[in-house]
Amino acid sequence: MNAGMLPAVEKRDVVVIGGGPAGMTAALGAKRAGAADVLLVERDRNLGGILNQCVHDGFGLFLYKKSISGPEFAERLAEDVEREGIAVQTGAMVLDLGPDRLLRLNAPDGYRLIRAGAVVLAMGCRERTRDMIEIPGMRPAGVLTAGSAQALVNLQNIRIGREAVILGSGDIGLIMARRLTFEGIKVKGVFEIMPWPGGLERNIRQCLKDFGIPLELSRTVVEIRGRERLSAVVTARVDERLMPVAGTEEIVPCDTLLLSVGLIPENELAKRAGIALSPLTGGAVVDETFMTGVEGIFSCGNVLHIHDIADWAAAEGLAAGRRAAEYVLGLRSLAETVRVSAAGYLRYALPQAVHRGARDVTVHFRVARPVRGLKVEARGVETGRRCGGRRLARAIPSEMQTILLKGPIEEDIEVGGHD
Amino acid sequence: MIDKMTCIQCPAGCELEVGEADGRLEIRGNECEKGVEFAQNEIRDPRRNLATSVPVKGNATRMVSVRLSGPVPRDRIFPILDAISGLRPEPPVRRGQVLISDVLGSGVDVIATRTINE
Ligand SMILES: Cc1cc2nc3c(=O)[nH]c(=O)nc-3n(C[C@H](O)[C@H](O)[C@H](O)COP(=O)(O)OP(=O)(O)OC[C@H]3O[C@@H](n4cnc5c(N)ncnc54)[C@H](O)[C@@H]3O)c2cc1C
Ligand code: SF4
Repeated sequence: MNAGMLPAVEKRDVVVIGGGPAGMTAALGAKRAGAADVLLVERDRNLGGILNQCVHDGFGLFLYKKSISGPEFAERLAEDVEREGIAVQTGAMVLDLGPDRLLRLNAPDGYRLIRAGAVVLAMGCRERTRDMIEIPGMRPAGVLTAGSAQALVNLQNIRIGREAVILGSGDIGLIMARRLTFEGIKVKGVFEIMPWPGGLERNIRQCLKDFGIPLELSRTVVEIRGRERLSAVVTARVDERLMPVAGTEEIVPCDTLLLSVGLIPENELAKRAGIALSPLTGGAVVDETFMTGVEGIFSCGNVLHIHDIADWAAAEGLAAGRRAAEYVLGLRSLAETVRVSAAGYLRYALPQAVHRGARDVTVHFRVARPVRGLKVEARGVETGRRCGGRRLARAIPSEMQTILLKGPIEEDIEVGGHD
Repeated sequence: MIDKMTCIQCPAGCELEVGEADGRLEIRGNECEKGVEFAQNEIRDPRRNLATSVPVKGNATRMVSVRLSGPVPRDRIFPILDAISGLRPEPPVRRGQVLISDVLGSGVDVIATRTINE
């Protein structure tokens, strides 16, 4: 490209990428902590992210102390963003991010280059697809992810089928089982390969049991049938190694298959900026201020690790935004960091790093399998000194948990989970 | 024990055990008081809220999301969905606007949960 055609580089204190709940609160947090010039960039026409398609209630219990729907939650946050005078650019996709915090974006009025004092990543996540779980069989119409079905039904008024089967018992699939039932679509069953459900108990109760929809654990879809349109799926029981057991196949006629088999943080931009990702969370490795391995770039919400509840993503955004402002204003601790790792029943712990001397650090974690009577303890790796502990009557993989490290933290920490 | 049930009042989803002692309900497993109220109601009169979306007047693909202003007896969900299905609100629609008041005499309203300006 001819250098003369490049637009001038704009300067901003804090740029937040993604206008979902995490991004909106990150912009609010940055502004309230004193960043003068905050820009919120969203590729969609409206702010709100995934919330716009989640029309059911159950949001806002922690932030607003009452149960509201996703769109209401989104509009309230968007009103706060407007009230604080935060600059918002919708319809603009960030195409590239460099380690020097130079952003390239495709905006409605053309290509823009922005140099940010700090960047907050809040791009959310995407769903795992059929390709990623490798179901053999034909490729007919009628196979879609639960989230795209949610968008088609709730935002575009499209009737997606007559008889549906849901593979995977993640929360979005459970909520769609109820939503399809409301639409007069018969949901024949939810099949889950693991011996425990993937979603929250409350959703199994109010989305499946209320409507007599069967949930079959340790059972999966092994074949997809149909030429133009899906005509049936074949399900089978799986053994402890998750392999289908011969002779347990059942044919379930249906014209629609929804996949609710997990979410993946949307980290293409993080990779371009050279940010180290964690294989356990799929998101960036961060310290307790939500800063990634690349200075001045922060991460929060579903792009950092998958949240089951939008309220938590919003709370995290608020904290990350505040820390981004503190970085720009030069208020940040320059102490070196120590590592935080997970052990025992814990699948991961986040943040993965903490500044030496830090106090009162909240660590988020998930368990790898359901446990009753879980004892969680944080200890110094070298001295074995205990810096936090908690007992949980029960813990399930679908529920994110927290533990407080009292500190001051002086050495690498291991957060272990035991019976 | 009379029943085991999951409290659905918040994402914690406590497993409640409901028993009876001297003719009074005894509830265990709840992490907060809302669980007690939930179990009592769930046995006497289970209620749920419901949410859906409807197209605006004159545009089959522009949708307004709606919900009820409060929960209704569980067996009224489908009749109320039927009553909502023909709804075609005319824009502008404000968030919180009552679209059907006292729907089917249930004592609760159908309200819009998003704003549509044009
Ligand atoms: C289909 C689905 C349904 C869900 N349902 C529920 C639910 O019912 N209840 C609940 O509590 N949680 C639900 N969740 C979890 C929910 O995603 C989170 O709780 C919350 O929405 C995460 O917020 P976020 O801001 O991190 O991400 P999102 O809400 O996903 O927002 C990310 C935003 O970033 C934008 N973006 C991405 N890349 C770029 C780019 N390069 N340039 C510009 N903009 C970009 C996207 O357009 C999007 O608006 C659901 C998640 C999914 C995927
Ligand atoms: S008892 Fe309280 S904490 Fe437990 S699920 Fe019900 S509302 Fe939540």
